[in-house]
Amino acid sequence: MILLVVWSVTPFVWTAQTSIKFTRDVASKTPVLWGYETTANAYRNFWLDSDDVNMWGVLAFVLVIAAIAAALGLIGRRARHGWPWFLGATAVICVALWRFPRFWEANDEYDFLVNSVVVTLLTMLISLSIGLLAGYGLARYTGISGAVILIVALGFRALPRTAFVLPYFFGAKEIDEWLTSTGVGSWNFPLIDFPGIDTLQVLDTRLAIVLALVAVNQPFTIWMLRSFFIEVPKEMEEAAMMDGATRLQAFRKVIIPIMWPAIIATGLFTMLLAYNEYLFVRVLAPTEWTLPVAIVSLTGGESSRTITEAAAASVSITLPIVIVIILFQKHLVRGLGAGAVKG
Amino acid sequence: MNRRTFWWFTIPSVIVMLALMVFPLITTVWLGFQKLLLRDLNNPEWVGWDNYRDVLSDPEFWAAVQFTLVFVVVTVPASMIFGLAVALLLDRIGRGRAIYMAALLLPFIVTPVVGTLIYEDLFERGGLVSWLWEVFTDDAFAVSASNVKVLIVVQYIWYVMPFAMITFFAGLQTLPEERVEAAALDGAGFWRNLWHVTLPHLRLLVVFVGLISVMDAYRVYDSVFVWTGNRFTEAHTLAVYNVRIATAFDIGRLGKGNAIAVLTVIGIFVVLIPFLWRSYRDQIAERT
Repeated sequence: MILLVVWSVTPFVWTAQTSIKFTRDVASKTPVLWGYETTANAYRNFWLDSDDVNMWGVLAFVLVIAAIAAALGLIGRRARHGWPWFLGATAVICVALWRFPRFWEANDEYDFLVNSVVVTLLTMLISLSIGLLAGYGLARYTGISGAVILIVALGFRALPRTAFVLPYFFGAKEIDEWLTSTGVGSWNFPLIDFPGIDTLQVLDTRLAIVLALVAVNQPFTIWMLRSFFIEVPKEMEEAAMMDGATRLQAFRKVIIPIMWPAIIATGLFTMLLAYNEYLFVRVLAPTEWTLPVAIVSLTGGESSRTITEAAAASVSITLPIVIVIILFQKHLVRGLGAGAVKG
Repeated sequence: MNRRTFWWFTIPSVIVMLALMVFPLITTVWLGFQKLLLRDLNNPEWVGWDNYRDVLSDPEFWAAVQFTLVFVVVTVPASMIFGLAVALLLDRIGRGRAIYMAALLLPFIVTPVVGTLIYEDLFERGGLVSWLWEVFTDDAFAVSASNVKVLIVVQYIWYVMPFAMITFFAGLQTLPEERVEAAALDGAGFWRNLWHVTLPHLRLLVVFVGLISVMDAYRVYDSVFVWTGNRFTEAHTLAVYNVRIATAFDIGRLGKGNAIAVLTVIGIFVVLIPFLWRSYRDQIAERT
């Protein structure tokens, strides 16, 4: 068992170590395994745009925000209705992300972090809302068309990204050209008039990435949610409908409240997919990167400075996702079990 | 549930899949017949089967096919057997199981490009493995064209094993205790127990994990791209080769890229159609 843990964890420990070393220790021929001086230079270089920043301050800021979010989350777990607390925790993190550049001058990488967060949250939201409806419909309907949809979706689950990314790219380009040629692109839409975006376009926006991810994630989402819905006895919503509720009301008031474990499990997988995506982002968004693309672009050079920086980047990218997964590990395991038994 | 309600519930998802999966797939087939360059997207020109002829006579394509097949054939069984073994081990551990599981899950949840980068770091100059290698053999270890394929395979197994492990582990939790005990009373040893009790119980899961693993290994992109980049093009899998042809700076051939994508899709469907057909029969059977 110990050996297995060593096998899976060693690279992480090594990288975490590298990220806090000085360049001279990293470059030395025999690795300096302990007793080295530690530094946060690599983190500073990766995230911030200035050379004389006390990183303890940044660390304190991050820790305080994490502590507040964790406290809210813990209260939410105990409370009868947890979701306002979870929403609060998310809001605290979002506000912190938004205000951070006011305190410290951040690099481009910081924008990529924001992109990552926005893309992940939006993908989860859209994917789950349409997936829940479809998963429920597919679990309850007994006609042949349901079977056809499921099998076609299963087939799409198998297709490589490469079959989609090129037409997406081509399509987005065509839409953009149409937008420019008709002048629609330069209209002012008050609601989507984000700062920094003067023209309406598809290519190289977060929207393109989110749409692509929602689409490729849909087959998996409906299969997984369907397998959860099938476990729910029909009598539950039938009782509610006897009392005069419509199907949609019964779905919202009776079924959704008991589906939280399923929603969390599916949401976790969606989160992993969106946060980890590399290919779509690289092709569809030449400048609006997310973190995985940012870090790959860092490793082009060979100097030791970038080795520590890449290590620092790896650690910063990995930590949030690992924390979330460890918090919800139980749901992840159960989700795979349920999705698998039926799959 | 009647038909109408069903469609109301399902339509958003169906529209998304039609617009963003069926339609792009048709576009892919259409673009495969065009001569289309990345730097000149406005002038597609119908060239019939030219792209396909071009692809099929490209030795790099056949190298990519070969490596992809080897990759699937090696990583899928290896990660499944390894995963099953770890799941059985994990099932016997009483204390600290959650901690072990978290540690073992790490490679699977980390962003694949990041996971590959940090794994690669061990083997690069100044990395842990590279250094150990030097201590024992006096030769510095370097990632090279001759060993990069092995490293890709090993790293992929490292990355994907937790998926098999956690699914089998979840399945083991539903194995009735009495059945194992009954078998043990009859004098069944570990292996016979595994073969006659545990594996039949996990049968469906084995099919499921196998299917998913084949799909994912066949289309692997992230980790192979990070290992090879533009250095070791001979170790490219189909997906990496495909993207390289289509989007290479300035000379990207979108038409040819789409032809490769179509061939890739046909490849996976040849393998999958029996499974899809069986799942369809199961679905129909469930409904009557």
